[in-house]
Amino acid sequence: MRVYLGLSENSLPHQTRIFADIDGKFVDLDLAYARYLTQTSESTGAYERAAFYFPETIAEFLRRGEQSLRALEDVVTFARQSSLRDLRGPAGEKVTYDPAEIRLLPPFQNPGKSFIIGFSDQARVEAMPKAEIPTGFYKLPQTFITSGAPIIWPKFSEEVDADACLALVIGKAGKRIEPARAWDHIAGVALLIDITARDINRREGLTTNNLLGKNFPSSTCLGPAYLPKPARSELEALELELAIDGSVKQRFALRDCVFTIEEIIARWSILDIKPGDFLAIGASMSLQGGRLQNPVPLKIGSTVRCSSPTIGELSHQVVSSGGLRR
Amino acid sequence: MKLVTYFYHQREKIGAIDGAGRVVDLHRAYSSYLHEIESNPSGDQLARLTLGRDMVEFLELGEKALDAARKALAHASATPNATIDTILDPKQVRVMAPVPRPGALVSAGKNFSDHVAEMASKKGPGAPVAFLKLPGTVIGPDDDIPHPPEVKNLDYEVELAIIIGKPCVDVTENEALDYVAGYASFNDISARDVIRGENKTGIHLMGKSFPGFAPMGPYLVTADEIPDPQNLKLKLSVNGEVRQDSNLSYMIFKIRAMIAYWSQMGLNPGDVLTTGTPRGVAAGRKPDQPPWWLKPGDLVEAEVENVGSLRNRIVAESSIT
Repeated sequence: MRVYLGLSENSLPHQTRIFADIDGKFVDLDLAYARYLTQTSESTGAYERAAFYFPETIAEFLRRGEQSLRALEDVVTFARQSSLRDLRGPAGEKVTYDPAEIRLLPPFQNPGKSFIIGFSDQARVEAMPKAEIPTGFYKLPQTFITSGAPIIWPKFSEEVDADACLALVIGKAGKRIEPARAWDHIAGVALLIDITARDINRREGLTTNNLLGKNFPSSTCLGPAYLPKPARSELEALELELAIDGSVKQRFALRDCVFTIEEIIARWSILDIKPGDFLAIGASMSLQGGRLQNPVPLKIGSTVRCSSPTIGELSHQVVSSGGLRR
Repeated sequence: MKLVTYFYHQREKIGAIDGAGRVVDLHRAYSSYLHEIESNPSGDQLARLTLGRDMVEFLELGEKALDAARKALAHASATPNATIDTILDPKQVRVMAPVPRPGALVSAGKNFSDHVAEMASKKGPGAPVAFLKLPGTVIGPDDDIPHPPEVKNLDYEVELAIIIGKPCVDVTENEALDYVAGYASFNDISARDVIRGENKTGIHLMGKSFPGFAPMGPYLVTADEIPDPQNLKLKLSVNGEVRQDSNLSYMIFKIRAMIAYWSQMGLNPGDVLTTGTPRGVAAGRKPDQPPWWLKPGDLVEAEVENVGSLRNRIVAESSIT
């Protein structure tokens, strides 16, 4: 089951809602759960309880902890057993939508920590066999877009590339987490494409910085789905693919990463991590035939797709900045 | 005008400093201005809509909010018996950073030639150098700075914070200052040993972004009060001993150039740029650095001329968590 953040016709402006996709429809989880409560238990306070478990953002949903995840299972089971066409809220509100009726948003809007684990270009050139620590960089939330939105080629660059990533979503706050407990803090995954202005990034790398080369509008494609916690074996076997104009250029699974989940969580939780934060691992941090994979160069007009059978797909077209920016 | 964010009665509020150095609650003062001067019965609601809920919203609302703040401040100052919650002694509140949650915090590096020289780092860059500090690292002018147990080389860097007031994309150096809402003092706290470790195979992120590594404040001094931000003294002392004493006129990439360059990434109201620091940091001390690394108990005072000063005490992180 996959969870989304979006706006529907029932949303007030700026008031995002949480959905799940079931049999090709998007189900409003807050209202579906209110309906479930009125049908299965006492009906008093159904709206309030539903709004508690399914608040406005997925990050807030994760903050509610185990009980929200249980409510999610209950409501999805309930919706699957119902006739979706007839499923309505307690007062007859619309609950199911066609995909075209929902405006999807990046599933995580404003995390305090949105990191991608990565080597500097210099370290990649020197082909570090195994670095001591999983270093990383930060992607500003203002750079996030989700599937369907264009990737706008930044005016200041002549060399833009893409790297398929899997974002490990944090569900439980922690600080200086022991490696043995790392897995408990992961609440699921989302797809991410890290877009880089490589010429700028290379220059910034000379002073061990990366800012402009990694943080411009539309440089982080995220979502659209958040996949709640799969079993560990399932997670490590998830295969991601990055295709440009239909031709597959990168392929990787978490097990190919040069660092383990434990090493990554232990390192970055030194700073403390919170529900809705994420740590993403890219194809460029994964080994194929003993070598690090490379990010894939883009051209204006390219269609970029990052997909994985259980998580879904991010699809974007690269467009020129002409006319879109001042 | 000097704008503050402060914490009072379990709530984050925005305020302005009056002539006597007191904190004026902008919502309350503007609301009473609307009631009493403009006879507007829905003053409370209008005050919220006009001023926004926090400093970033206030800045997003632009000139209208600034104008309302000026009226509110003048009205409160002219009201001798303003209610006790409208005008507060600064000792009654916890002053926070003026922008406690910037969208982006862009900190310049290698931007004073004397600092580049003392760090013996690679030559001055051909383009502005900066890195992101996590917005969550921002703390107030009197807050403690936690010394993380894994850090051995904790250092300081006095800088000027430039707070963006309008959406700012691809602007020229000439118009750059039109996008500035105001200025604050800033201390870019750094864990040099962590940075060295990160730089071996990656970029520095953690070494600049432990909790509390970005003291800012004490207020946002609006741009109209700082006609020449490029010519301000900066000074930093540890336990009263002066370590950094310089002037922003020595910056390599000037404030206008920084804004123009970083506007390429698209800046928003409430985003913060910091200038980089001059010589005098602990990492640059000759011949030996250890006596200057910050340790629990040290008091770090950072001040930019006409902008205000920060007084932050270093405390062992284990003692607060």
